Amino acid sequence: MKKLLSIVLALVMCCAACTAMAENITLKVWEGQDDQELLKELCEAYAALHPENTYTFQYGVVGTADASTRYLEDPAAAADVFVYPDDQLIRLVQADALYEVTRNHDAIVAANSVGSVNAATYKDTLYGYPMTSDNGYFLFYDKSVLTEEDVKTLDGILAAAEKAGKQFNFDIANGWYLASFFIGNGCTITLDDNGNQVCDFNNEKGLEAAKAVAALCAHPAFLPGDQNILTGTIGESVCAGVCGTWVADAIKERLGDNYAAVKLPTFTVNGEQVQMGSFGGCKILGVNTQSAYPVEAMNLAEFLTSEASQLRRFEVRGYGPSNINAANNEAIASDPALAALAAQSNYAITQLIIGDFWTPATAFGNALIAEPNADLQPLLDQWVAQTVGQ
Amino acid sequence: MKQLLIGMRQGDIWVKGSCLVMGLGCIKRKQIIKGFLYLAAEALFFLFFFGFGWKYLQHFLTLGENAQKRIWNESLQIYQRVPGDNSMLILLFSVLTVAVTVLFVYLWLLNLKSAVYVYRLEKEEKHIPSFSEDLRSLLDERFHVTLLSVPMTTLLLFTVLPIIFMILIAFTNFDANHQPPGNLFTWTGLQNVTDIFLGNATKTHTFTGILAWTMVWAVFATFTNYIFGMLLAIIINHKLVRLKKMWRTWFMIPIAIPQFVSLLLVSRALEPTGAINVALMELGWIETPLPFLTDVTLSRIVVIVVNMWIGIPYTMMTFSGVLMNVPEELYESAAIDGAGPVRKFVNITLPYMIFVTAPATITTFVGNINNFNVIYLLTAGGPASLDYYQAGKTDLLVTWLYKLTVDQHDYALASTIGIFIFMIVSVCSLTVYNRTGAVKKEDMFQ
Amino acid sequence: MKKHVNKRNLRTSIGLHTLLTVLSVLWMLPVFWLLLSSFRKEPGAYTPYLWPKGFTFDNYTRLFTDTRLFNFPRWFMNTLFVAICCCVLTTILTLMVAYVYSRLRFKSRKAIMNISLILGMFPGFMSMIAIYHFMKAIGLDQTLLALILVYSGGAALNYYIAKGFFDTIPKALDEAATLDGASKNTIFWRIILPNSKPIVVNTAINAFIAPWVDFIFVSVIMKDNYNNYTVAKGLYTMVDKANIYHYYTVFCAGSVIVAIPIVLLFIRLQKYYVAGVTGGATKG
Repeated sequence: MKKLLSIVLALVMCCAACTAMAENITLKVWEGQDDQELLKELCEAYAALHPENTYTFQYGVVGTADASTRYLEDPAAAADVFVYPDDQLIRLVQADALYEVTRNHDAIVAANSVGSVNAATYKDTLYGYPMTSDNGYFLFYDKSVLTEEDVKTLDGILAAAEKAGKQFNFDIANGWYLASFFIGNGCTITLDDNGNQVCDFNNEKGLEAAKAVAALCAHPAFLPGDQNILTGTIGESVCAGVCGTWVADAIKERLGDNYAAVKLPTFTVNGEQVQMGSFGGCKILGVNTQSAYPVEAMNLAEFLTSEASQLRRFEVRGYGPSNINAANNEAIASDPALAALAAQSNYAITQLIIGDFWTPATAFGNALIAEPNADLQPLLDQWVAQTVGQ
Repeated sequence: MKQLLIGMRQGDIWVKGSCLVMGLGCIKRKQIIKGFLYLAAEALFFLFFFGFGWKYLQHFLTLGENAQKRIWNESLQIYQRVPGDNSMLILLFSVLTVAVTVLFVYLWLLNLKSAVYVYRLEKEEKHIPSFSEDLRSLLDERFHVTLLSVPMTTLLLFTVLPIIFMILIAFTNFDANHQPPGNLFTWTGLQNVTDIFLGNATKTHTFTGILAWTMVWAVFATFTNYIFGMLLAIIINHKLVRLKKMWRTWFMIPIAIPQFVSLLLVSRALEPTGAINVALMELGWIETPLPFLTDVTLSRIVVIVVNMWIGIPYTMMTFSGVLMNVPEELYESAAIDGAGPVRKFVNITLPYMIFVTAPATITTFVGNINNFNVIYLLTAGGPASLDYYQAGKTDLLVTWLYKLTVDQHDYALASTIGIFIFMIVSVCSLTVYNRTGAVKKEDMFQ
Repeated sequence: MKKHVNKRNLRTSIGLHTLLTVLSVLWMLPVFWLLLSSFRKEPGAYTPYLWPKGFTFDNYTRLFTDTRLFNFPRWFMNTLFVAICCCVLTTILTLMVAYVYSRLRFKSRKAIMNISLILGMFPGFMSMIAIYHFMKAIGLDQTLLALILVYSGGAALNYYIAKGFFDTIPKALDEAATLDGASKNTIFWRIILPNSKPIVVNTAINAFIAPWVDFIFVSVIMKDNYNNYTVAKGLYTMVDKANIYHYYTVFCAGSVIVAIPIVLLFIRLQKYYVAGVTGGATKG
């Protein structure tokens, strides 16, 4: 009896000691449907690295596009760690949804590319752990039609395409792509200190950019339409198009050995060549301010965005890392799409847009497709007025 | 009410005690189960009110004062959050609490009423109904209470309360900048209304423009379907047509496919490079692709035509039913008058069909005003317009609302517009419903 | 003379049948297109040519075998379960309400009817977040039960057609039964319902279809719990920007499978459906 008692006592003490150290920690993580398998693998790897705690992971399917919407519907039920695209950063910060990155801050800033850190930063505060920096866009082309020289300029692409009886696809009716002309020509779209939208696409430089857009729209080799058109026609009637890494697989499949990717071309303004800009997109892991285990969630987020995890993510899913070391990895550096994206990132800006920009941008794009000879200045003025909310 | 007050004054201590302890009056007069049910309801209510409701209701006037706070935690090296008030939950659960309280007050009055009632019965030495007799009356003369209780509860919870919640939001500043849990929102009175109709010309223009198109759409969508559906039904039901059932089935198959699939397909086919343009160009009918989705007039025609594709099978089915059932006696009397087939159709079949389908038509019309699917899935409201605020030229009020809430998170603005739509639609349809013969003469055929 | 009539009939008949053939081809084109896409071998949402280059049955087998990411079989069963429950619940609730408005007279009847009509015009998505939080307060968030309640909760608003039907069932039947000592309850179950097969079927079909096609409510109620998705929501995730190229043809295959039970229902219950839509007024 005594013996039994002592065993029980020992057990109890053990448990007491354990509970002091080994907590049972439940963490919920959100990623998209097709990333679930990898997510599980990485989370289990994390648990294996930290045997001092018991982890229970809950996996939820919320793709990046829906992250802020799902979060705001019920923050308390949202994931502790969730992935969001950088364009949702401001909304999430406005709702105080994200923990600042304060633990290991300097190491994380140092490990990730400047662009990705900037994308996760708002008003000098870092609000998340950069996970990929491949959410931007660049040029895909068919090597059998276009030469490396052709793809340096928009005029070159269009001329070569026309000569070959092919087309160049660009989604003009989407503000995300459309903006590259304006950004390239030195216009700004950003937020002021009070969080109000600032946009000067209707100034002189904007007008020049708009003229270039109109010229593109009027060109016979130009084909408007979204990514489905591009993935459905490249290699046949289309020889080049602008899109992002998520269609890289599809395009590689269609073009085979003729597959190539490069930074965006230059376009002509007053007879001079101007490099097209772009929005550099990142996916970021955020830690929910409603989390019961903030420190654990931060550690997990850090692990999920570590160099090793990012490399694994590239292997399995082909995502481009934001981690500098990972990005310099041979396999990644030699991936045409990611290399093109990296080259374009020198001309990319962070997307600081709070919402009213997109619908009028589509309207502007459609107006030019329908009538490339339209009077541009009034259209630009309306677009900007809508964007800045007047 | 007056009766009740008099009864209360005359009543004994048990009756008066029912004011505080519900069910006392019933328990005293041997209506034990009923009495305890009242008592249980009272206990439940207080449990709910003080355990849950009051937490939110007390902040109703301010919608919360403490925003979520950040405090630097040196040992963890993080900005710890101290949870604050959540304005949205305060508003939502205050509405719920008020509703439950109103129900409780009603129950409390019922309790007093029955206390007075049984007191009188006892005094007059009449029979006091037992619990099983009460139950039986719920299956007979008060059957409507039984039947309506469940549907009305779900209706209250899932429709009425959310609507009240939404209406109240129109008087707050709940938008992207005042988003819980990080920020509070608060009451702003009529500011949203003045914003739309006085402050912002673009929004006013958008509202009136979309309202006008919504009405045009609803009229065309309803009547194209009505007329062509009727014609199709007449053709299929023509005495010379064989295999009627097969034809009907052909037309029904397209609507069995979920709309988000079929409309996605159609919308892709209408793109400049889509199947329809490709086919038309290969046939040599057109030189350049038609801008089905980007030209204002063309896209408006397109949505109406595609809506016919979806809607005509339904109207066809409706009219088939009507045609098969035109009362024979109507035709017999016409035959005696020596009417030919055309006159028979114009004088008998047509009026009969219009009469019988009137209620369904009104329902369709109202449904079209709020026809979210066809517009949202087909054009997403496009072509987007630079002179509209966050809307396109085929946007209906309902799809515009959807964009404002889901994409813009401008809940306050959306709610304000929602109220106006709601008022317009309900006034229109109530007038029409109550003027239709079918409603007026509802007792006539019975 | 007779010959002349026959000739004219023949011409009309040919004309009508041609017209019907043309129309039904027009109507079936998108369906045919969907079928083609679902058997298309090449992936992608768009092809510049109309006729697929190769055909395969893989898109269908992938739906049921490749369930690691998109668990279609499970979503299908979820939807079936929800649809059946909704079907039963909505039908009972709707008919109960319609019966009350048609047969029972009590004060505030007219007012309740009008209010219900107005409430039915309210755009449903405006109430989604509120409903979600109510569900959460009673611990039902992210469950199939919640979904059933949401789909059936508005049943009291759709009484209009069923009431029209009940209005045409002769009141004499009720009165005779009352004389025999039947209560209102008995009348409802024993007399009204058996005489209302068309409207029962009609209401049931409509209630059955709703869960197969809604993708908005289910997103809000289920949020991140993809085990409880319905097919509509599941299929919708297949046409995401990132998935659409590889899953578009699978998406089409899934849609065909969803359409099959609904088509079968329509074919089977066509005559009731017809009679139901038009209300009992057609019962001559």
